Formats: sequence, structure tokens, C-alpha cells
Amino acid sequence: MISNDTALMAHLLRRAGFGASRDELERYIEMGYDGAVETLLNPSDPGNMPDDLIRRYHVEQSELRDLAGSAAYWMYRMISTTAPMEEKIALFWHSLFATGYAKLNQARALLNQVDMFRRSGLENFEDLLVELSKDPAMILWLDNNENHGEAINENYGRELLELFSMGIGNYTEDDVKECARAFTGWTLGNAEYMSIRAAKDSIWPYGRIAWHFEYRDKDHDDGEKTFLGETGRFNGEEIISIICKQESTARFLSTRLFEFFAADEVTEAGEKVIAEMMATYFSSGYQVRDVLRTLFHSDYFKSEDARFARVKGPAEMVVGAIRMAGNYQNPALGIEKVSNTMLYMGQGLLQPPSVEGWHEGSEWINSGALVERVNFAAKELSNLKSPGVRSIIDRLEASSEDGVLVPSDLADRCLDLLGPIQVSDETRSVLVDYASRRGDLDLNSHEPGDDAEQRVGNMLRLVAATREYQLA
Amino acid sequence: MSTQTQSPSIALEYVKTIGIVNNGYNGRGFANPYDTVVGGDGRIFVLNRCDPARASAIRIGVCNLEEEYLGEFGRGNGSGDGQFVWVVAMALGSGGRLYITDEYNNRVTAYDTAGNYLSHWGVAGSGDGELSGPAGIAIDSSDNVIVVDQHNSRVQKFTNDGKVIATWGSFGSGEAQFNLPWGAAVDRDDNIYIADWRNDRIQKFANDGQFLAAYGESGDGEGQFQRPTSVAVDSDGFIYVADWGNERVQVLSPDGSFQFLLRGEATVSKWAEDYFASNPEEKAERDVSNLKPDLPPHLNTPYHISSQTEPYFWGPVSVTLDQSGRLYVTETNRHRFQVYQKR
Repeated sequence: MISNDTALMAHLLRRAGFGASRDELERYIEMGYDGAVETLLNPSDPGNMPDDLIRRYHVEQSELRDLAGSAAYWMYRMISTTAPMEEKIALFWHSLFATGYAKLNQARALLNQVDMFRRSGLENFEDLLVELSKDPAMILWLDNNENHGEAINENYGRELLELFSMGIGNYTEDDVKECARAFTGWTLGNAEYMSIRAAKDSIWPYGRIAWHFEYRDKDHDDGEKTFLGETGRFNGEEIISIICKQESTARFLSTRLFEFFAADEVTEAGEKVIAEMMATYFSSGYQVRDVLRTLFHSDYFKSEDARFARVKGPAEMVVGAIRMAGNYQNPALGIEKVSNTMLYMGQGLLQPPSVEGWHEGSEWINSGALVERVNFAAKELSNLKSPGVRSIIDRLEASSEDGVLVPSDLADRCLDLLGPIQVSDETRSVLVDYASRRGDLDLNSHEPGDDAEQRVGNMLRLVAATREYQLA
Repeated sequence: MSTQTQSPSIALEYVKTIGIVNNGYNGRGFANPYDTVVGGDGRIFVLNRCDPARASAIRIGVCNLEEEYLGEFGRGNGSGDGQFVWVVAMALGSGGRLYITDEYNNRVTAYDTAGNYLSHWGVAGSGDGELSGPAGIAIDSSDNVIVVDQHNSRVQKFTNDGKVIATWGSFGSGEAQFNLPWGAAVDRDDNIYIADWRNDRIQKFANDGQFLAAYGESGDGEGQFQRPTSVAVDSDGFIYVADWGNERVQVLSPDGSFQFLLRGEATVSKWAEDYFASNPEEKAERDVSNLKPDLPPHLNTPYHISSQTEPYFWGPVSVTLDQSGRLYVTETNRHRFQVYQKR
């Protein structure tokens, strides 16, 4: 029988992290639910793989010129961090403020943007939008370098309102124009040279040159503007300040956070939580951390209704399986292939398909992606040499009576140690039937890789292939 | 050309930059170079580590100070004879034997300078003569080969055909202890210098392995290091250190005291000029750009500054000297090396 504490904590760690091994889960259970929420929401020392080690062995992750190495670099962070919420919130913003490599040809700038999400992603939403507006990757991605005082380009102004803060239907076309005017002069250093290099995908002569923000006062339209009913000689900061006051912004942000951290579908009960999150948004002065705290402490989030109510995104699927297996804790050849695997599942880090980001939820699942997902997780979790799998075998042995597990126990305990994962009666029956083919499992005197261990590996492989394992 | 920094006893004058990124599988240019060696005939050998996307192009490129690209050799990516996976460093022994370490294959491979594969030695392990992540390499006056045995936290001395002569060191931060050591050098008196990478110091040993001195500590001040990768010692005993994590080169006096540092001042190489000649619109925008920009506070680390400041060293992984007092600083992330002349 799975204890509610364990199941609830595992649920929290699937949402505010990438799932948890049993060792990790037990550390959080010791903190209690409230303590765990605070620890996750206040990431301090992430304890991830140090940059110097990564740079020494992976020249591609030192230079960060190409997409594959750069995506792998972020994967190392996700895999090795002890503050998983920091990476999870970065992933959330990466999907919402989707900025992609294809147009920029500049992975370093994208990773600097991800760093910004880590640094500011749980803080004040108004400050975050200002940082986003100054982010060089975003500037080039949405053409704000072409947004001049004499001739505006509305692209960034429009998406800021539509996709990043308020949502369509809450502003007029005139607001879009006035918003764009306010962001004239917000560009990147050496914008013309960097723009031509990006357009040509030029790495010459000496590799890429990273980007930084530059404000060109002479290119800024300092005239009077009327935006969402307010009038003044607004610059970008004032526009963002007005945006953040809007109820539509509170609803937009709360809903997107709910969908990413709680459930793919917003039910009536979910709507009530979103209303509470909106209230917190205003009472806290737009603090993302506080809005999330409201979510994690809501009865809905803690209830059975919210459990396994999301389809794991590819990053959650891949990183979760690797963390569970305990692999890639040191720099190793092949990590870039793992990040490519995520791409085959439909989510290439640093390369969202459009400014709208990924279509999440059930859209993650199609026949090709499903095969990739099942194959990857099954292979990762059945490798008997992996430290996490060895730990599972040790725990199975310790929990057995005289080293022997009856088939139903083998199935149940594997489900427990890989989650706990709740499965349907039908799924459990399949697992137990499979375990029963060889009778009781005797783990006495087991040796690495022997037949007894292979049986555990096969059961873990089968659990990883269940429908339920696809859900977070 | 300008004198970058002066001291009472030594100065280095910037000479030129050689290189251009090579995005393909062969031909002029470099792909994440990790080390440079200069032959007695003036030919410059550049070890291309290559990223995984270009792993099959792993090779040694050859050029000269006049920036002529003379060719390349190697047998590609893998573990067969003459092949490489993760190359780290090179050293030139007598008879034109060029030794190359491979930290993935756990071996030392020898080529001649005409590009012919000669032999390799080393098996994975921690016993005498066995290797775990061989990194830096240097040759003493007896033509013995000094190999930094990274993951075994030790230095091993081999004959030039791979027979182990001596072994010293253990893991730690005390005297003759190492933490992921990297580069190696030999001075004119046959003393051995090791870049003790994760201890942020240089250790000096007598040729028989007796500890003599340690220089440096963690930090970004003068005489402090952040992950030093490579060391070289000139005929007057001045010590040159690739202070990799600080994205700079430091020069120490023979007693280890700080002399001065270089941050890099790369200019457009001949090969880069050729590129711009056929891409004039890119050149025109470059000419009006500020390639030494002021950066926002969150980008104010040596790594970020170097990633945005093209003339500065970025990934200065190796320092090499030639017989004419020239210093070659190899930059992994910029696919080039900068040349300085000692005055």
C-alpha cells in the first residue's frame, strides 16, 4: 500500500521537478509537504554538474556554437541539479516565451535567456517582462532590432500582449502600435553586424560572438502614447507596468502556470484555483513564486484529481528517466544523442516550433513519439549497471521476505519505486501475469546482471512501457 | 603591434593571430584546437579536438608562421591504430616523433611529422604504466615522455617507446598530490611542471619526481589561477600559464612570482582577411562595430566577457614556446592561436 505522504510528495516532485528516485523522495518527505514546497520554490545551491568539468571534456559545450551541444548543456543541468524547480521554471518560460535557434543561429544567446529564466523566473513578473524585453535573443527573434523611432515594427509589441502577458481580445490594434512605439530603440549591441551574421549563419572568422542588450536613445520614439486607456510619454518599462496591472494578465499567467504545473485540462475545480492564483498575483505584487505557492497548497493540487493529470513533456520524460536511473552524473560521450532523442519525441530544447511554443498535453503523443518515449524510458530503466537501477534492486531485496518476492510483490514494488505510479487494474494484471510466468523471484545471492536481476530489469522495462508511466 | 605589458625583466609583444574556424572535415582552419607544437623547421602542428558533430574530422593541422596552410594528418575518429576520440595534448620528441594523448582511448599515439602513424601505447587502468585519462605531455632532455595521468592523479614517465620509468602523485591538494591535473612542461634543467587543474596551481618537480615547489592559488587576482590548463617554461626560466578559467595567460618569474598577464588582442588573420574579401557586406558592418563592448552585470564573468569580446582569449587551453622566444596561445573556442614575441 502506498502511503499518501509518499504519493503526494512524488506528485509534487513530478510537477516542481522531474520526478524523484526513492532516495530523493525520502529526503523531501523528511521536510514535510510545506517544507518541501518552500525548498523547491526557493532554489539556492543547485549543486549541478560544474561548468568547468563540462567545458573541459565537451568543447562543444564550452563554445556553445551549435544547437546539439547547447541543448545537451542544458540537459546536464536538468539531470544533475538538486534544485529541480529552477530548471522546471526555466522550461516553463522557455515554452511560453518561446525563442528558437532556427532564426537566430546563436545558441549562446538562447542559453543566456535560459539563465535569465533561472535567475528571475520565480520573481516579480513585471521585472521578468522587462528582462525579457531586453533579452537579445528575444529582440532578434521578434525583430525588435527593426523597430525604429521613425518606422515601427509591431512584432514584439504584438506578441508581448498576445502571447506573453494578456492574451488576444484584451487590447486593440492601436494598443499594439503604441506598445511597439514604446520599445523603439531597444536593441542589441552591434545590432547590424549581429543581424547579418545571424541571417547568414556566419561563424566566421572565429566562431560566434555572443549578444548583449543596448538601448539607443536616438532611435527611441519619446512622444506621447495612449496605451490601454492611459496616456504619457511611455517607454517600455511603463508599458509593462500597465500590462501587469490588468486582470487579463493575472488570468493569463495563472492559467498558463496551472496548465504546466497542475493539469492539462482546466476543470471547474481548476478554475477556482486559478482565481485564487490571480488574487495572489495582485496581493503579492506580481510574485510568480507566491502564485505557485498558492497552487501547490491548493486542495485541488493535493487531490487525486490532479495526480497523473498531465502528459509528461519529452524533457520531463527523458530527464526523469535519466535521473531515476542515476546516469550522466559526470561528463560523458553521448549526451548530445540523448538531447536529440528529445527532439524525436517532439521537443528539441532551444528549438520550439514557433513563437507559440510547443502544443503540450495530449499533443505530445503520436505514434512515432510514443515509440521513442517507451523505448527510451524502457532502455534507461532496465540497464542493470545504472546506479539508480542498482539502488532499486537493493531496495527490492531489503523489502523482501528472506530475499524472495512473490510475483504480485515484484510488480507492486517496482511500480512503487518508479513513482509511486498508480495504474489501472488491467495494467497491474498484465504486470503480475508477466511476473508470474517465472514464479517467485529469489534475490538471494544475486550477482550483477544475473538471471534474477534480469527479471527485475524486465519488470522495470515493462512498467516504463505502461500508459500510466507516460503521465506526470 | 604593441607591447601589451612591461616588466623590468620580460615583455611580450603581440605578433599576429593565425586561424579561422573550420566547419568542415578538412582544409584550412581549425576545429576546437586543444594544443599547438612548433617543430624545429618552423612548421606549426595544431591538434584539433573537434566537437561531436565533426568528430570524424579529428586531425592534426599543419601551418607556418607565414600563415600558409600546409595540410593535415590523422586517421579519423575511433580506437583503431592512429585514430582518436578525445585528444588533449601533443609533444615533439627526438627524431620528429609527435606524441598525442587521448583521454578517451587512454593511450599515447605517435606520428612522425610527415603524418605517418608510428605506434601507440597505453591501456586503461591504474597499475604502473596504465593510464586513465592521459592529458598533458612533455619530453625531457633524455627523450623520456612525461604523461599526466589525469584520473589516476599522478604523473608517469615513460621511455619513448612506452616503457614506464617512474610514477608519482596521488589524489589530494598537498604536495605532489593532484586533482584532475592537465598540462605538463619541462624546463632547461629537466624539472617538470604540472598544471594541477582543479587545485588551481602549478607544481614543480625534479626530474625524478621530487616535489620542489607549488605556485598559485584559487582566484582571479595576480598570481591566482582558475583551472590552469597548460604551462610552458622558457630558457630564462619564466613560467607561462594558461589561466583557462580566467580566460587569460599569466607569466611568472622563475621563482613563481607574478610578472604580468595577457588578456588577448587578436586581430584578423590572413585566412580571416580572405573570408572578408569575399564577404564585404559583413566586413563593412564589422568595421563599424564595437568588438570590446561594455556588458550588463550578469554577463560580467571572464567567460561571458570573452564570449562577447572577440579579441580576447576565449578558452586559452594551451601555451607553447618555440626556439625563437615566441609564445603561442591556443584558443579552443575561437579556433585560432595568438602569437607573442618575447623581448
